[in-house]
Amino acid sequence: MTTRALLGRALLYGLLLAVTFVVCFPLLWAFFTSVKPKDEIFAWPPTLLPEAWTLENDRALFAGKDAYFQAGGATATAVPPSAFFLDWFLNSVVVALGTTAISTVVSTLAAYSLTRFRFPGQRAVPYLALVGYMVPSIIFVFPMFLVMVELRLTDTFLSLVLGYVCITLPFCMWLMWTFLRGVPVEIEEAALVDGASRLRVFFEIVLPTAWPGIVAAAIFSLIVSWNDYLFGRGFMNSMENLPLTVGVMHFFDGTHVDLGLMMASSVLMTVPMAILFALLQRHLVAGFGAGAVKG
Amino acid sequence: MEVRLERLSKSFCANVVLKALDLTFPERKFVTLLGPSGCGKTTLLRLIAGLERASGGAILFGGERVDHLPPGERNIAMVFQSYALYPTMDVAANIGYGLKVRGVPKRERAERVGLVAKVLEIAHLLARKPRALSGGQRQRVALGRAMVRKPNIFLMDEPLSNLDAKLRATMRGELKRFHLDLETTSIYVTHDQLEAMTMSDLVAVMNEGVVQQFATPEEVYHCPANLFVAGFIGSPPMNFCEVTLAERDGTPVLMLAGRAIPAPPAFRLARADEGRRLVLGIRTQDVRLAAPDDADAVPGTVWMVELIGSERLVGVEVAPKLRITAEVRAEVRAAIDTPAAVAFDPARRHLFDPATGRALPRAA
Repeated sequence: MTTRALLGRALLYGLLLAVTFVVCFPLLWAFFTSVKPKDEIFAWPPTLLPEAWTLENDRALFAGKDAYFQAGGATATAVPPSAFFLDWFLNSVVVALGTTAISTVVSTLAAYSLTRFRFPGQRAVPYLALVGYMVPSIIFVFPMFLVMVELRLTDTFLSLVLGYVCITLPFCMWLMWTFLRGVPVEIEEAALVDGASRLRVFFEIVLPTAWPGIVAAAIFSLIVSWNDYLFGRGFMNSMENLPLTVGVMHFFDGTHVDLGLMMASSVLMTVPMAILFALLQRHLVAGFGAGAVKG
Repeated sequence: MEVRLERLSKSFCANVVLKALDLTFPERKFVTLLGPSGCGKTTLLRLIAGLERASGGAILFGGERVDHLPPGERNIAMVFQSYALYPTMDVAANIGYGLKVRGVPKRERAERVGLVAKVLEIAHLLARKPRALSGGQRQRVALGRAMVRKPNIFLMDEPLSNLDAKLRATMRGELKRFHLDLETTSIYVTHDQLEAMTMSDLVAVMNEGVVQQFATPEEVYHCPANLFVAGFIGSPPMNFCEVTLAERDGTPVLMLAGRAIPAPPAFRLARADEGRRLVLGIRTQDVRLAAPDDADAVPGTVWMVELIGSERLVGVEVAPKLRITAEVRAEVRAAIDTPAAVAFDPARRHLFDPATGRALPRAA
């Protein structure tokens, strides 16, 4: 390797390291803050690595609210927000999984019908759906809130799931449409000739072939519903029904910020998504890649 | 099993693809549907497979109507142009899928898949996914998937078109061999006349949704039913030139570029037809180069010479814009723009009616 090539490579790696640092620093800072004692978080000069490591923030988050009720028959208002963390976490999991299940199933079936059956407007539907996805979601919040009030669904998980599905479904459908367009119809016909029913062809031939696209659509739905703040803030009001993103804002009450709890919650919020990405990264790249090339 | 089509038609909206076809594919025969792109041959195959619904008419397998049955209930096997292998399954699962769907026990399935794989020499590939196979190997897997179910009818849609020339030649022979061994009625779609001529017991030449001729390869080649078949079959294509029927010394002759050439004896030509305009067709192989002063030949000028391996094509312009190509041995030399003459093998001349395009009736 020549000196020029070596220098070029060193520069490239230097640049990559710098970008990695910029991306990772907030995460690292959040993690180290979450394991610092409260007095060290605001110490001056600030420290990156904790001088004394502690899990007091995580312990407070995992304590749960039952301990408070059992201790002195306290009312919900007297219970600190951190005691609701497990409820919020579970709420977010339920809502995210519900959204993902509905979005993935409906978008796959819709995209399949768009690619395989002929009807008027067949070609326009995916593009119109994509245009719908381009509208900022904040525009939908107030009208949808009014709808939820009419349906008496406010402060229910169903309202959140329906709201998120409205946001995720158009893009998931477009993604699956671009993916399924690339699945040759001949393999389905070959299976029909082999004696399989339409349903069997769909489940045994089409779905396994479209798996990367399904994974990409599912991860997209999970991310949107896991990270959303707007709909949670608009539709939910009971402390125990809040999603994580809205709940953690209670660690900041206008006069006092509990940075330790906030950072510990942020880290714990990130962990499930990070694990998911690590496990499904390969499928995700294939899924989005197929959409990018064939769309 | 015999396949019979009765008044079978197919339209896509206003586009009529097949026009009331009546055709019988005899049992155990290898029949090829041959024609240019868009002639309806693949649509016909898909109708027989049950992948398309007919607009009219009937399809009968062994005398029983099947056009209401879905593809899986017709006991057919189909090899697709793209092979259509299931990409997420390995070779063994691909071949055995039809058996699995039909509820064949796992053990028997494995045995039958193994047997077919052995015959096709792909036993070492059973654990591989289709993406890890070459074109030829994929082709064999597709064949294996068709063979393993022991179907009543084999349908093949241009299965060799994605292979290179050498492999195609090998697979042509192998497909024919498999057919002879299995003795299953086979319907094969191609636009490649070489495949049709070398592999088939019968050829159905199609154009614009109509079967132009249904006969043995020999008959299609030597006695084409019309101008389309005559022009489509044979490479290089047949020479066509307009001639006028006349009489010299009591025998019918054809006037071509001012020369009288004897009319082919195989055709019934009546005296009353004198002066009638006809189309003379003659294959390049049946044209020979003659000396410019040969009384039986048509004189002209050499305008093109092409070497095509062991043969040479020599084009002779016998009249303005009227060129006749002769296929001669490569050793025969001809220089462009030099005088030459072409003579025709009398027994190999074809005559067609220019109005209908049909071949003139031959003497019994």
